[in-house]
Amino acid sequence: MRQKRRYRNFSNLLFIAIVTLPVASGLVYALLYSLGFIGLLNKGFTTDAWETILLGKPFWSSLGFSFYIAMVTIIISLTVSLSIAISWRKNLNKGALSSLIYLPLCFPGTVMAFFSYQTLSKSGLLSRIGFQLGWIDDLRMFPSWINDAYGIGIIITSVLLITPFFIILFSNLYTSEKVEEYVQLAKTFGASKRQVLLKVTLPILLKKASVTIYLFIIFVMGSYEVPLLLGRQDPQMISVAILQKIQKYNLYDIPKGYAMSVLYVVLVIGVLFILYRKNKTFFKTEMKHS
Amino acid sequence: MKRILQYIFMISIGFPLVFLLVLSLGRQWPYPSVFPKQMTLANWEFMQESSSKLFQTFFTSLGISLTVAFLVTALCFFVSKRIAYSKNRNTYLVLAYIPYLLSPVILAVIFQYYFNIAQLTGTALGVIIAQFLIAFPFGVIIYLNFWNENLKATEELSYTLGGSTFQTFKKVLFPLSKNAILLCFFQVFLISWFEYGLTNLIGIGKVRTLTVSVFNFVNEANIFYAALACCLLVVPPMILVYINKKFIFFVEKNEA
Repeated sequence: MRQKRRYRNFSNLLFIAIVTLPVASGLVYALLYSLGFIGLLNKGFTTDAWETILLGKPFWSSLGFSFYIAMVTIIISLTVSLSIAISWRKNLNKGALSSLIYLPLCFPGTVMAFFSYQTLSKSGLLSRIGFQLGWIDDLRMFPSWINDAYGIGIIITSVLLITPFFIILFSNLYTSEKVEEYVQLAKTFGASKRQVLLKVTLPILLKKASVTIYLFIIFVMGSYEVPLLLGRQDPQMISVAILQKIQKYNLYDIPKGYAMSVLYVVLVIGVLFILYRKNKTFFKTEMKHS
Repeated sequence: MKRILQYIFMISIGFPLVFLLVLSLGRQWPYPSVFPKQMTLANWEFMQESSSKLFQTFFTSLGISLTVAFLVTALCFFVSKRIAYSKNRNTYLVLAYIPYLLSPVILAVIFQYYFNIAQLTGTALGVIIAQFLIAFPFGVIIYLNFWNENLKATEELSYTLGGSTFQTFKKVLFPLSKNAILLCFFQVFLISWFEYGLTNLIGIGKVRTLTVSVFNFVNEANIFYAALACCLLVVPPMILVYINKKFIFFVEKNEA
């Protein structure tokens, strides 16, 4: 019995040591660095870095740009994936499509970003095809989709990366949540196709996938490889902006980079706690305690 | 019309792979040619040359990912079980979500100092530990969905009938957990295999994985070798997804 309790305590301690301790100690270091207590150029306590970050433009514009990219990506991705999962649901359960849909999951962000660069840039494949078809006379006439101000390349790549995941998710939910039965019931009661879609199918699928959707917004906001290859200096997504501050040759920028990372981590933790309080069924389970 | 759209969709799914494969065989691709001027296997032969290090890079990546996947899968199995049956299960779950939700490269930024003082930066061991730290919470999250009252009751029945801890694990828990163990292993392998930002920051460019190589080749403007490295990056996940999907299908059939 004592051995069992010791094993339980050891497991819990191991969890804290691996999951919580590194993040907490990393945050402490970043906080101390940003406040001037440690670091190469430390001169004692100062809030300069924090004032620059909180009152200046770079952090908030990076955060806003990341949020814009994430929202546009998720909206496009949800629209496409819901349309495919609902209208092609039979083909997604059997046949070639049911296997092929898993193929894009093999593509990491790095590979998809490289593919997008070689396809969508001014000298990319689409531009070459446009030239051969006589749509453009010069590569400069091809629209700027890569390293552009609106993050079009980043959005397209992110959509390519996450849409297959959502197609599989909604396709599975359609079956597991017995949506078809509700659809038939609604039709029996005289609901039109539009009413069935808007009042039955979409609410069930979106409600069941809501927390996953919120989590994906955070994932896309924090993405690094795709904006590193396809983004530009201004505006930058948050991960790229933080890394650039930390790795810059200007040592005075490092405290700002750490302040930005602390602020970003705190914001994500804040969002997680809001999700936890609002979606208790996702986090809380009915497991009886020993 | 629906059929045509589906065929277009299926072709577009396979297109990136075909495109990268063609590019990996290319030598010159001047604008406005749609296809590379020269198609040769020379790039793929370059992989085997010891000076190219791409062959070694592939196995370095494989070694790192397999080690991380093995460690996380094994350790999370036992830790998650205790957490799942703990009174504070939900607190632990939320704590696991914190590093899981944060961008790995941001975690690398705040971890980097400790890796520096432990002299782990620039080493494969450092990259393995860093990847382990980001994959471990994910492993716990995967397993937490698996432990339930039925499994606990079955385990307790085994003890009641005189089974030892090892016998209960070998004859009861392990056979029942095979799906979850494989799922965790595959998923963690993919996280490690796909990782770039954290690997590059902790490995400071000295630990060359395939993702790091892709960026290096892109920076060197060598798109053909970058495409080759991309092809190599995609192969193991394709095999894994194939096995995983087959496996899930097999289980569903069994359960039915």
